[in-house]
Amino acid sequence: MAQTHRSLRAPSLRTLAAALAAAVLLSGCPVPSQRPQPPSTSIPGAQPSEPQPPGPLSPIPPAPPRASPAPRENHLSPATRSLVTQSRTLASRGDLDGASSTLDRALRIEPNNPLLWIELGRLRLAESDARQAEACGRKALSLASGDRATQAQAGRLLSDALRAQRRNQEAIEIERQPFMR
Amino acid sequence: MALILGFIVLAAIGVAWIVHLDHVVTREFQGRHWSIPARVYAAPLELYVGAQSSANDLEEELRRLHYHPGDPFAGPGVYRRRGGSFDLHARRVRFSDEQREPQLVSISADQNSITRLQSADGAELPVFRLDPPVIGSVFPVHGEDRLVLSPDDVPPLLRSGIKLIEDRRFDEHHGVDAHGIVRALWANLRAGRVVQGGSTLTQQLVKDYFLSDEQSFGRKATEALMALRLEAHFSKEEILVAYLNEVYLGQDGSRAIHGFGLGSEYYFAKPLAELDFSELALLIGLVKGPSYYDPRKHADRARARRNLVVQELEEAHLIDAAAAARAAASPLGLRPPGGSYVPAYLDLVRRHLKRDYAEADLAAAGLAVYTSLDPRAQAAAERALTANLKRLDAAGRVRGAHLEGAVIVAEPNSGDVVAVVGGRDVGTDGFNRALDARRPIGSLVKPAVYLAALETGRYNAATVIEDASIELKLSDGTVWAPQNFEHQIYGRVPMARALAESMNLATVRLGLDIGLPKVAETLRRLGLETPPMLNPSLLLGTVEMTPLEVVQVYTSLANGGYRARLRAVRAVLDEHGRPLKSFKVQIEEAAPPAAVYQLDRMLILVTTRGTGRDAAARLPRGTVVAGKTGTSSDTRDSWFAGFTGSYVSVAWVGYDDNRVTGLTGAIGALPVWADTLARLKSASFEPVPPELVEDRWIGFADGLETSPACSTDAVVVSVPKDTVLPAKPGCGPSSMGTSPSGTMGDKIKEWLKHIVH
Repeated sequence: MAQTHRSLRAPSLRTLAAALAAAVLLSGCPVPSQRPQPPSTSIPGAQPSEPQPPGPLSPIPPAPPRASPAPRENHLSPATRSLVTQSRTLASRGDLDGASSTLDRALRIEPNNPLLWIELGRLRLAESDARQAEACGRKALSLASGDRATQAQAGRLLSDALRAQRRNQEAIEIERQPFMR
Repeated sequence: MALILGFIVLAAIGVAWIVHLDHVVTREFQGRHWSIPARVYAAPLELYVGAQSSANDLEEELRRLHYHPGDPFAGPGVYRRRGGSFDLHARRVRFSDEQREPQLVSISADQNSITRLQSADGAELPVFRLDPPVIGSVFPVHGEDRLVLSPDDVPPLLRSGIKLIEDRRFDEHHGVDAHGIVRALWANLRAGRVVQGGSTLTQQLVKDYFLSDEQSFGRKATEALMALRLEAHFSKEEILVAYLNEVYLGQDGSRAIHGFGLGSEYYFAKPLAELDFSELALLIGLVKGPSYYDPRKHADRARARRNLVVQELEEAHLIDAAAAARAAASPLGLRPPGGSYVPAYLDLVRRHLKRDYAEADLAAAGLAVYTSLDPRAQAAAERALTANLKRLDAAGRVRGAHLEGAVIVAEPNSGDVVAVVGGRDVGTDGFNRALDARRPIGSLVKPAVYLAALETGRYNAATVIEDASIELKLSDGTVWAPQNFEHQIYGRVPMARALAESMNLATVRLGLDIGLPKVAETLRRLGLETPPMLNPSLLLGTVEMTPLEVVQVYTSLANGGYRARLRAVRAVLDEHGRPLKSFKVQIEEAAPPAAVYQLDRMLILVTTRGTGRDAAARLPRGTVVAGKTGTSSDTRDSWFAGFTGSYVSVAWVGYDDNRVTGLTGAIGALPVWADTLARLKSASFEPVPPELVEDRWIGFADGLETSPACSTDAVVVSVPKDTVLPAKPGCGPSSMGTSPSGTMGDKIKEWLKHIVH
């Protein structure tokens, strides 16, 4: 019986080991950076300028040196990364619906990836739908727990979405969160 | 004088009549607009490296899309498989967001997933969509269905073949063919009966397009006059293509098959361009009498007619002798009848569209509707329901009565509804229980009670609550004395166990402490649209909901507290492929994510330690799921609702006449639910832990903090960080089996190892 148990457990442990190995390998992979971020030191009360459609992929910065490994790090798979690129191209041409349905495809592949929800939230901002942008930002934030870099991106989206709704005080509270520093 | 006057009047009437017909012909035909029912498409299968699709799955999928094995370089619609490698010539298709031209791709897959995707030039393809499968049309009752061809879509052999068989002098005559009439008259006289019609293609078109079916000399004259006027105003090409789109080719129940475009799809499941000589000859032959030569009902007649057409094509040197011999020897090549008709899902699509479109537009405007339907999920849900109902009927006590059921599967993040089964008779229109059966949900309501409790901050999974008798005097003066299912009383139990074992008394006491308005408000936030009655029995699920409403509520639980609006239709395009409307993912925070996370972890205990534990045996080993059983009073309704990492789903089982089933949620609905998700290779439910909570070991019986080394019934629950839990004497966190500094992830894995066996 005990033998049976061990042999049944083994695959799940192997899976775990593989996942850990993958995580270690991937931690060196750059997180695709989002569109140029608005300055986080924006003046309280100032309205953000007209929402811009997401620009082209910005150059990928080198991975910052880290003292201790982060517990989690989110990244895009080749499939979702190519769809994000495609979505941004469509958005830059003004085809926001096309950009949106392309992101839908990516989200069906990786529904729990906070980077995709951030991307969708940015698109909603470009569509002037600040409420949906806010919801995407909050969802991204909850999916990003343990990943400072992604939390910061989600936080910036969220504060932009709040400011777009003239909820500056809430935006400031978000900007003061530890993960925003 | 009077005679001359009379003649002038008659002539004037005649001229006016011709002018009128001329006007009708030009006006109607100029702006000709076929009545094209909306076509409904399922979601295309997305391929990428790592996608869960084995080589066999992929081939099955290609067959389902009517791709044929062969030489892919010969043309679209063909694939070649070698081991796990496929070369595919993908067809030209329109997706909701782009038009794809024919494309050669190479796909490799192993026994589990896609391992490689390349385009013809060897470049890696990050992602590739298969064709969106057509799942139906929204056509009017007794209505015409068609796929309209443009001149470029008409194969040359069809062009010359149809003229050869139906109207040899089409290119010469002016709408009416005197030679043809004389020839037909002569043939009919010699035979002593009508063996030949003298109608030109133009006359046939006029008859179908403008006139009724009445047979009279007057109508014949009108037809001839209109044919002449049509020819005067329009080119031969326009008339021929219109004819090919108008002609009636068969009947599929209430759906009339019009035009060669749809004819090709209806009989062969292929685009017209992919038909071979024999298939084309069969369609051309059908024009003479679609019901007399119906190849599904009268295969011999159809074959004889086809071979006659083949012979004529050969004699006219349109095909060579070898091709004719091959065509005459080939089987009819019909696609299998039936197929993937999904009435319950189409019903949801129709209701969704009716909010934005008039019925007439849906039936006639040629819209393309792109839905979220996943044919694999639909097939899995249909099979799980029909097989289990059959089994339960056989084991049941009610003789002669048939259990009914419903299943809905959705993707929780987007709210995409991927499958709807409205009853055991999955292929026919009828009472759609998934959308219309409004039944008491029983204990499916309990997660809302426990979530409301967690949200107050006064309760956590380890909080001990009281399962003890309770009597309540209701506003109408009656006394309500709820019972546990088997009339036991459990006493003091941790909240996690009360939910896992679906204890009624503990839940009623908890709900009353929190307050009915708070519970109702939680339900509303999760997605219940009609406010429930604030009666204490609400806490045990006397509230009635349809399976669709239940899915909406559970979507919020499966989605970390975000309610995603359910969506069957993603986009609608007009007949020219221009986007008309897209339905975007809409999410809204319905409950605090940390509270939902704690609840979800308790719902995992339902399927590992509680009333839903039978699910494990039906799911792939090691799959973690969360859910809740539900049973209405006297077991009239059996429910199960829950979620995996990929899907949220609800199953209902009961009788239409509401009689007692003798089935609890665990016996009736749970197997349907679990079998559906088992066939979908669903990922485990592994939500991201919020930073505000942490995992702790507690005794399942007493709720005291412990460790697996210390208690055999230790379970992991999620509680707010730094919650003070009373510890089991001699146990407690310092003697935990895992290291105290272990991360949450380690503890979850440890715990999963413990429970998933």
